[in-house]
Amino acid sequence: MNLATIAIKNTRRNLFRTVLTIFGVAVAMLAFLLLRTVLSAWLVGVEYSAKDRLATRHKITFIMTLPKRYVEDVRQVPGVTAVTWFNWFGGKLPGKEDQFFGTMAVDIKSFLDVYDEIYVPPEQKANVLADRRGAIVGASLARQFGWKVGDHITLDGTIFPGQWEFNVDGIYTATKKSIDQSSLYFHWDYLNESLPEIQREQVGWIASKVPDAGQAATVAKRIDTLFEPRDIQTLSMSERAMNTSFLGMISTLLDAMQIVSFVILLIMMLILGNTIAMGVRERTHEYGVLRAIGFMPKHLSAFVVAEATVLGLLGGALGVAIGIPLINQGVGRFMEESFTGLFPYFRVLERDVFIVMGLSVGLAVIAAIIPAYNASKLHVVDALRKFG
Amino acid sequence: MIPVAYNIRSLAVRKATTIATATGIALVVAVLASSQMLSNGIRNTLGKAGQPGRAIVLRKGADTEMSSNLENRMLNLILAAPGVKRDSSGQPRGVGELLVVLALEKPGTSGQMSNVALRGVSDNVFQFRDQVKIVAGRPAKPGSHEVVIGQRLRGQFKGLDIGQKFELKKNLNVETVGVFAGNGSSSESEVWGDVDLVRSAFGRDAMLSSVIVELESPAKFDAFKVAMERDKQLGLQAFPEIQYYEQQSEGTAKLVTWLTGVVVFFFSVGAIIGATITMYAAVAHRKREIGTLRALGFSRTTILFSFLLEAVLLALLGGVTGALASLGMGFVKFSMMNMTSWSEISFSFDPTPGILASAVLLGGMMGVLGGVFPAFRASRVSAVEAMRD
Amino acid sequence: MSDASGTSSAPALIRLMKVGKSYFRGREPIEVLTDLDLEMPEGAFEALMGPSGSGKSTLLNLIAGLDSPTSGTILVSGQDLGRMSDAERAKWRSQNVGFIFQTYNLLPVLTAVENVELPLLLTSVASKERRKRALTALRIVGLEDRASHRPDQLSGGQQQRVAIARAIVTDPKIIVADEPTGDLDRVSADAILDLLVNLNQELKKTIVMVTHDQRAADRATIVRRLDKGQLT
Repeated sequence: MNLATIAIKNTRRNLFRTVLTIFGVAVAMLAFLLLRTVLSAWLVGVEYSAKDRLATRHKITFIMTLPKRYVEDVRQVPGVTAVTWFNWFGGKLPGKEDQFFGTMAVDIKSFLDVYDEIYVPPEQKANVLADRRGAIVGASLARQFGWKVGDHITLDGTIFPGQWEFNVDGIYTATKKSIDQSSLYFHWDYLNESLPEIQREQVGWIASKVPDAGQAATVAKRIDTLFEPRDIQTLSMSERAMNTSFLGMISTLLDAMQIVSFVILLIMMLILGNTIAMGVRERTHEYGVLRAIGFMPKHLSAFVVAEATVLGLLGGALGVAIGIPLINQGVGRFMEESFTGLFPYFRVLERDVFIVMGLSVGLAVIAAIIPAYNASKLHVVDALRKFG
Repeated sequence: MIPVAYNIRSLAVRKATTIATATGIALVVAVLASSQMLSNGIRNTLGKAGQPGRAIVLRKGADTEMSSNLENRMLNLILAAPGVKRDSSGQPRGVGELLVVLALEKPGTSGQMSNVALRGVSDNVFQFRDQVKIVAGRPAKPGSHEVVIGQRLRGQFKGLDIGQKFELKKNLNVETVGVFAGNGSSSESEVWGDVDLVRSAFGRDAMLSSVIVELESPAKFDAFKVAMERDKQLGLQAFPEIQYYEQQSEGTAKLVTWLTGVVVFFFSVGAIIGATITMYAAVAHRKREIGTLRALGFSRTTILFSFLLEAVLLALLGGVTGALASLGMGFVKFSMMNMTSWSEISFSFDPTPGILASAVLLGGMMGVLGGVFPAFRASRVSAVEAMRD
Repeated sequence: MSDASGTSSAPALIRLMKVGKSYFRGREPIEVLTDLDLEMPEGAFEALMGPSGSGKSTLLNLIAGLDSPTSGTILVSGQDLGRMSDAERAKWRSQNVGFIFQTYNLLPVLTAVENVELPLLLTSVASKERRKRALTALRIVGLEDRASHRPDQLSGGQQQRVAIARAIVTDPKIIVADEPTGDLDRVSADAILDLLVNLNQELKKTIVMVTHDQRAADRATIVRRLDKGQLT
């Protein structure tokens, strides 16, 4: 018998209240885990994004295009090992306009070289390269619309009006968590050739690879300096820097979620602290007996804190146990499908589970501080006189 | 009936527990009210830009001004369509505008950029958009390198305050000369400059994003729409302005509503559990009291309602506190990325009496849900308990 | 009356010299004990009696080291209790005093043997040895076969016996009993008193007992009466 076993046995005193409290803590920690997963999902995109890949776009705004000849100029810049280019297409499925997914016109061959974390099976890759109207789609996207290799699809162009036909020649998967698997890539040449003369030879942005992350800033500056004196200037930065600044735009939302998470933790502490405090008030007489036998104030405090810790631990564990399947199987699927692009990867992270458990225990201890102090401050003789 | 004073005093005696439980409920109510105020703010901001009786014309297939490209020559065609209102001198009431996105530096950071919406407007924009008024400085001179900014942008970016300058493109600087207010609508997060200025800066000569017209009456919209969309070669589509802006806010509002809905649900469950624990303890603690009341002749039902009332009072204490606290959010501005225009837009927390009332009501509901079982337990205490020690 | 062992030169285990104890209610001090002199020899079985408000419980608290006197000196086994700090008295209690209360005061969530083991947690005795000693104590009170029962599964008399086992498990010199038979029926009360006499005579425990029960007092070797804070 020791502090832990006594603490555990003490929870049986008022089993109903104990169960309710554990459940309350579990609900709070479940909500906290959900919010953290949302935050992590947003941040994961940034964390895993490449530091050794640069994005070069029009200096003023990413809506404006760069001349295609800039691609060759970037290729010549010392430090650049590979180059590819993109145009944002903005296509929609007729009849399903509210289901957003990314569509881009790229030079597929160099695109797959530069983005080596994207994997397309070899025969599919050979097919799409040989097919002028070929396209590769992400695995999640394919699942969402039920597309298979060989399917023929039509998209409505929003920026480039008209009906555009494509063949799903390949389905890609990503080896890194930050690449979303819900986009469609097709041949830039197909787009370029279909446009009226004045709109041709324009690219949306250029992606280039550098040998290592350390060189990213230098090479980026080199590229921008090259185009500085010309009519159209560029802005280059590493992919990670770009994603970080994108996050900056929704930073308020992220901050709001942090604040809300904090409130959840407060509520959890209130429930737990209240229960513990009630227990202490009810056991005044018993504490008096323990003190009479020779237990010291610090022992009583230890009893209180131990009990709070047990409740916190059980509540946190229950919250996690319900949360992981609920978030991964249920909510996660929903988020990945309804808000694709925002949440390419929505799964509970191991790190967040540890944070939740750590908080359950840590906050339980904090919630117990005042009741533990009250228990330790009891006067033996007064406590013995009380009934209940 | 047992006097309410009994319940109030009982709550007052167990101060610590009462405060803890009420605080939990206050937090839930505050978060719920704040999120509803934000949703309301979003709807107001994005929705208010639209006026009844006005229509917006975009390129066919584009779902937002940002991705719509119209040729300038379409402007007169559209203005000449049936249903368009004419002013006293016979001129049609309508404007053509070009909407682009500009990256500007945030103040106080070292180069952190964010996107701002820049609207190229015509000379008569203030006459047409009559709910927009200059509140500081002056309007920009037509054809000049001057711009005016919406009041929600003021100070949010480098260059966006009266007298400040910023770069539109290399060697093309503009100066902010005035600030306008637009009834809390999304216009207040826009920079307005001469449409030709914006065209030349962005290489969009002879192009527009949209044409907005005022119709003779809302009923004329159908005929107008038919005229716009009849000729497939033109590639146009028309929306009532109100409907257009509602669509714009949908994505953002949906995300906010969903996230906060989930969060508030969990919060409520937690707070209700807290209330239940408290009320059960209260009943257990007052067994002798209840027994005495029964011995004196009060019925089970009376006891039940008394304890239910106590739970509700406790919850309302938290609910009212939380609702009042949420009013403080009215001073907070919330700026985030608008999903459809890829520019930063500022929302406010707009309270309404309805929101506050429903938040307090929710607090009361939580009291009922949390207190119903303990109240039943209380009603089952028998008179014999009065005699036990 | 003389003490039970028959020797008149037994050393005084407990000595009170001019002991006074007051409580403060608002600004008025209430004197519960005044100028008390008392000596109790080792091995005594003393009963303290008196009307309520006489201060007998207060006196018991002082002897047990639960409280310290406002004036005067209390020496128990040569230790000056009045000079000790709260923590020192707690430690002293754990080594020298066993408690028996009117309402038994067992922890409801622990079994009988666990309740008896409780005081041993304050010592450095190892876990297996603790369990052994607790069972021995239960055997002495005749409840070894109920070791794994919880208080709500025991009768009043049995609970009090478990409490007595708890009181002796650390082998203290003194046992302090506050109305030990107060909540018991006659039969159980007698059994408890038999046990106390046994502890006194066989195990040589010094017992100080506060009681209203004349029949309990009859079993003691010395009876003292208190009235208004004075021994009569």
